[in-house]
Amino acid sequence: MNSEKDNLDDLFKKGLEDPVENSLYRDDDWGALEKMLNKQQKRSGFIYWLPVLSAVAALLLIFLGWWAFRPKTGGNIQNTASISHQQIKHTGTNGGATRQISVKATISQITAIPADVKNIGKNNRKNIGGLSSSAGARRYTAGLQLPLAVNRQATDLLTSVNGLNNFRDLTLIRLTQDSDIKIAATSNGLSNKLSANSIAASNKVKIKQVSLTHPRLTLSILAAPDLNGVGTFQQSKVGTNIGLLFSAGVSKKLTISTGVIYSAKPYVTNFQDYHTAYQFPSTDPVNVTADCRMLDIPINIGYQVYAKQQNKISIGTGLSSYLMLHQDYTFNYATAYPAGPTNYTVKNNGNYYLGVLNLNATYQRQLNSKFGISIQPYLKLPLAEVGYAKVRLQTTGVAVGLTWNLNPSLKP
Amino acid sequence: MTEAELLQLIKGCVKQDRKCQKLLYKAFYGFSMGICLRYAGNRDEAAEVMNQGFFKVFTHIGSYDPERPFKAWLGKIMMNVSIDHYRANLKMAYAEDLDNAEHISDGILADKNLHYEDLLRMVQQLPQAYRTVFNLFAIEGYSHDEIAAMLNINAGTSKSNLHKARQKLKQMIFNADSSANGTGFSTGMDYAPVVAIKAVGMSGVFINKGIRE
Repeated sequence: MNSEKDNLDDLFKKGLEDPVENSLYRDDDWGALEKMLNKQQKRSGFIYWLPVLSAVAALLLIFLGWWAFRPKTGGNIQNTASISHQQIKHTGTNGGATRQISVKATISQITAIPADVKNIGKNNRKNIGGLSSSAGARRYTAGLQLPLAVNRQATDLLTSVNGLNNFRDLTLIRLTQDSDIKIAATSNGLSNKLSANSIAASNKVKIKQVSLTHPRLTLSILAAPDLNGVGTFQQSKVGTNIGLLFSAGVSKKLTISTGVIYSAKPYVTNFQDYHTAYQFPSTDPVNVTADCRMLDIPINIGYQVYAKQQNKISIGTGLSSYLMLHQDYTFNYATAYPAGPTNYTVKNNGNYYLGVLNLNATYQRQLNSKFGISIQPYLKLPLAEVGYAKVRLQTTGVAVGLTWNLNPSLKP
Repeated sequence: MTEAELLQLIKGCVKQDRKCQKLLYKAFYGFSMGICLRYAGNRDEAAEVMNQGFFKVFTHIGSYDPERPFKAWLGKIMMNVSIDHYRANLKMAYAEDLDNAEHISDGILADKNLHYEDLLRMVQQLPQAYRTVFNLFAIEGYSHDEIAAMLNINAGTSKSNLHKARQKLKQMIFNADSSANGTGFSTGMDYAPVVAIKAVGMSGVFINKGIRE
């Protein structure tokens, strides 16, 4: 019986082993394959470039960050000059987010004072009812004269302002509310032609400055499908994320954001990349399928590169911490009856702090003053080994979100 | 093609050079098709599976070890994609109602002048589950345990499928003999109840249907 079976098997083995020239080449087949290859090349081209692009974006961010926060020369002048309506109006009553600026009477900084005065004038003008940009205010500031007299030794500033007298009373009323600024209006006769009023500001004028912009606060809910792979995206599996992000604008263009994202990250890893102290009996698995659930806590910084009308584009980077909730590993063997375990569920889940680098780009469209939508392609690169299996898990995906401005009165 | 020429082509393929890819494709078209045809139901299906195989070859060519014979590597990939294809279609498979072919003596196998085309057509007419096991056992030379692991079935299922495949083939050969032109060897195709093939699990099936070698 066995030999009969062997005969049959042999007949087919011999007959089919050598197909001779039966399968003539068809160009259509190559065409179909070429199409597949082209498609793949486009896709992989993007994936291979993504880390490079991200690195460039990160470098750009570092540079811009340095540029935005670099130490400024003559900072005092600028700070003084930028005192606005709000500060004058609110100093003394507003205690939040204040910064103390002391103005020293040096020649280079004298210009600060007229600017200061300019603002005072503007503010008064504003209080009277005009906008600071109104023609009246312009005319008024145009009439300013730069310091006529400076008593350097006494370190007092003496500035004569043309036309300020019109608003002097008002100025004094407004300014005397501020206990830190001492302003005296005296006629010093330095300028005879003009009804010269000079304002002497003490050399240690301390002005409590309120930050110009309130931080823009935004809350966003986002959901993202993503691809997870170890070392490469060749063997990637699709995961899901859902989360809540809170972001605060620290300057016009920079935003810091953080939040909590619940992530389900399934992935496949070759056994070589799976690290464990456990010794598998006889044969090692070929690969490992993992199902990990975690909380992803990112701290990101974003820089706005484009903003027109309702559309904004920003790039961002930051670090994520993974708090593991559930880790389950399934071992796949080459043989049907493996001696080793087929499954392992981790009992003590660890936390992995700041082990993942986030790189992202965000397109945001404002729907109205309160709500907007955002689309954010992102890449998460491992800086450290994560999880029980100590894998270097990388993730790429696109997050879709709904954003809500918490202080809509400020233009986002 | 000499060994050196082949290595040159492979080098070109590593660089994703389309011309080299086409030359390699052409050179091994017949060989690969021969394998895929045995596992597939028809030529179009075989070409589709073969292309998936070549796609893997070209995307993973970097992992090819030049020390080892290329043909064996390629053949294994073709076999693996064929198995992946089989597994992708696993949910529904046809189980044939077998006529009792036990009575057919293997004596009929002797002095048969069956050509490649005839044999291929017979194998292709087997239900996919039988065909795959028959290919792996009779032609590739794998054991039932190995086949069971590859296909995620029990070794018993593998044995049973092989037995049924042999019965069917015998019947086909017998019929081919009885019909003078050799065109009437399709039997039992008019009655084909659909049954689900028992699968141990699909855990081995990944998005990339990973190359196992």
